[in-house]
Amino acid sequence: MSPCTLADTDVRKVYRIKGFGDPSSAYASKLRCMGFTDGTTVEHVPGASHDPQIFFVRGSRVALRKSEARQVFVEELV
Amino acid sequence: MSHQVKSIALAGIPNCGKTTLFNTLTGNTQRVGNWPGVTVEKVEGTFRLGDQQVRVADLPGTQNLNPDTEDQKVAERVIRGGEYDVVLNVVDACHLERSLYLTLDLRERSSQVIVLLNMIDIAEKEGLHINVEHLEKKLGLRIIPVSAIDKESVQSAVKALETAIEKLPPHGEHPSQTEVMDTVAKYAHIDELYSEVVDEKVDRRANITGRIDRVVLNRFAAVPIFLLAMFLMFWLAIGLGSAFIDFFDILGGLLFADLPGALLGSIGTPAWLLTLVGAIGAGAQTVATFVPVVFFMFFALAILEDLGYMARVSVVADRFMRLLGLPGTAFIPMITGFGCTVPAVMAARTLTTRRDRFMTIFMAPFMSCGARLPVYALFCAALFKESSALMVFLIYLAGLFMAIVTGLVLKGTLFKGAPSYFVMDLPLYHAPRPTAICRYAWLRLVSFVKKAGTILVAAVCILTMLDSVGLDENGVSFGGTTSETSLLARAGKSMSPVLEPMGIAEDNWPASVALLTGLFAKEAIVGTLNSLYATLDDTAAAEGPDEGAGGLDIGGTIREAFGSIRGGMAGLFASMDLLGLGLVTEDAEVIQEEIGADDRVYAHIAAKFSKVSAFAYLLFVLMYFPCLAVIGAARKEMGGFFAGVMAVYSTLLAWSVSTLFYQIAEGHSALWMVVSVLVLGGTYGGLFLLGKKERARTPELKRIF
Repeated sequence: MSPCTLADTDVRKVYRIKGFGDPSSAYASKLRCMGFTDGTTVEHVPGASHDPQIFFVRGSRVALRKSEARQVFVEELV
Repeated sequence: MSHQVKSIALAGIPNCGKTTLFNTLTGNTQRVGNWPGVTVEKVEGTFRLGDQQVRVADLPGTQNLNPDTEDQKVAERVIRGGEYDVVLNVVDACHLERSLYLTLDLRERSSQVIVLLNMIDIAEKEGLHINVEHLEKKLGLRIIPVSAIDKESVQSAVKALETAIEKLPPHGEHPSQTEVMDTVAKYAHIDELYSEVVDEKVDRRANITGRIDRVVLNRFAAVPIFLLAMFLMFWLAIGLGSAFIDFFDILGGLLFADLPGALLGSIGTPAWLLTLVGAIGAGAQTVATFVPVVFFMFFALAILEDLGYMARVSVVADRFMRLLGLPGTAFIPMITGFGCTVPAVMAARTLTTRRDRFMTIFMAPFMSCGARLPVYALFCAALFKESSALMVFLIYLAGLFMAIVTGLVLKGTLFKGAPSYFVMDLPLYHAPRPTAICRYAWLRLVSFVKKAGTILVAAVCILTMLDSVGLDENGVSFGGTTSETSLLARAGKSMSPVLEPMGIAEDNWPASVALLTGLFAKEAIVGTLNSLYATLDDTAAAEGPDEGAGGLDIGGTIREAFGSIRGGMAGLFASMDLLGLGLVTEDAEVIQEEIGADDRVYAHIAAKFSKVSAFAYLLFVLMYFPCLAVIGAARKEMGGFFAGVMAVYSTLLAWSVSTLFYQIAEGHSALWMVVSVLVLGGTYGGLFLLGKKERARTPELKRIF
């Protein structure tokens, strides 16, 4: 599976985080502290907001702006 | 206890139940205080642990101890500083993975950490079974399960806490055996722990919160649901709050002004002292009238927060707030400003970064508050007649427009910098808890009365004295009401040259004085115009002494105060017209009855204002210096410097825009047009330089702004 960004994910599919566009940014650091670490599984919550988007990660629902979700690289879990 | 503990800090991720636990622990003994140098509040109280009273602090929620926001800095500073003997880490059992990150952070920094595993009952309902003993062993920390909303559970936890404290290592012992890990390593460790101690029995993605969010955050339904929720919040805060305003006003007048005045008068107190006491009483009475609206606004906010909906509101509003460089969370204080700017300024504290809070506070006063509406209504009835509603609508739009302009200007000057990102943790929904909500609102109210109230009483005192001191050929006299000879009137007249470019002629000095009294509260403008225009008529000279001189009827006043609640509650459902636009009508009699305007006022307004100069005046009323209560609240939230900048900025903007409008539409003076544009440019430049200076002076601001 080729990596895409979190903003491009389909609902109900499970993805694995591969990294950040700018790993040293404050935003990446914030997300990592909130559990968005490499290898963590993440799911785009269906039927909810278009932008910000809602993701289910580590048992929590987290809202991220689409533009900011583009900074998170993921790959689909098969 | 052999292990001496006098103070405890509660630390945990946001929404983990710290405050609920704090309130159950402390009962009604809590007090609110500020940390030095920051505007983020901590709440302190005491509770009984064994045979001694222990001080407990509820720290702002934080995800970790690598601070990137103001509130996290507070928590980090407290824990690093070791100001409290023990750190109680409140862990949300429903979000164990996220919560454990902070636990590991705390474990690295202190040996005096005990974990309170909160909401374990809810976690069970969510299908999570946590092996507490195993988790305790793996973490090497004592873990006490608790349900913070259950008093008995908290009492058991307190007993367990006594034992746990006894087993803590001695103070000062560094947790050297604990490995310091980076973020990735911490989460890897948490994943390992989680898989060992937690048994997930159901798919949590399909829980009730998920199902509600599908509707509440649905891309088509989200905005209508959001508008309905906001309307209900407004209705509760303004509608219900307003029902009690007369009660507080009447009772406040009796307790703070009439009674002390009557008592001092009966023992022959000199006039100057009576005036001073009356001024202090008037200030306290003004504060009292804000109490119900402030309380119900925080009450309404607390309901939405406790329910879990406030986080969703931020998500919905973020779509357009981001254009101003603000996160969606800034929207709540802004709309609160339509009711009253004071709770709007205070509601800004829910924002995480200093830049977002300050920008929102600067913008909030431009959302036209209910107190300004009677002024618009008066001028509309006198001058605009059938186009009244359109005029008021234009004024509201102008306020909204200026708020947006202010946001854009600040983004490029005083609060220059990258816009903050938006990451919002969406909590589980749960039923609002009445006790917790009332306590929250009460704490915020006490804070308001203490801080904003002190400033307001002092300022009202000074202005009332100016209004009561007469200066004429006979010398100085005390006790005169607003008249041509009072110092306040003289000050108003001296302002006329400054206001002339926006269409207020020198002979229209009552309009200038009204702007001065509007500094107290915008409600005072109509009263001042009414009173001063009446004194311009010959008939006014024949007016008799004050009605109040007839004696004090305490029983009657108290009955009147309680009677006003019945009247207010009866009109509660009529208050669905929250912006009060029903007041805007061409029917002068309706206006007269609603706002107590005198017939003569319409004639004077029509004679002294043109339509253009009246609209310029209303623009000025909309934008100039927010009332003293707002400045008091802003000073509490931002400090004196930024509150001062806000007052100067809004007044310069008000003058420039009003003057420019008047000169383009009617005055046609190229000189004043140029001057107004120069003032606008100067204001922009001033803000730019101030921002640059602030960023240079406080390097830390570079990152925050």
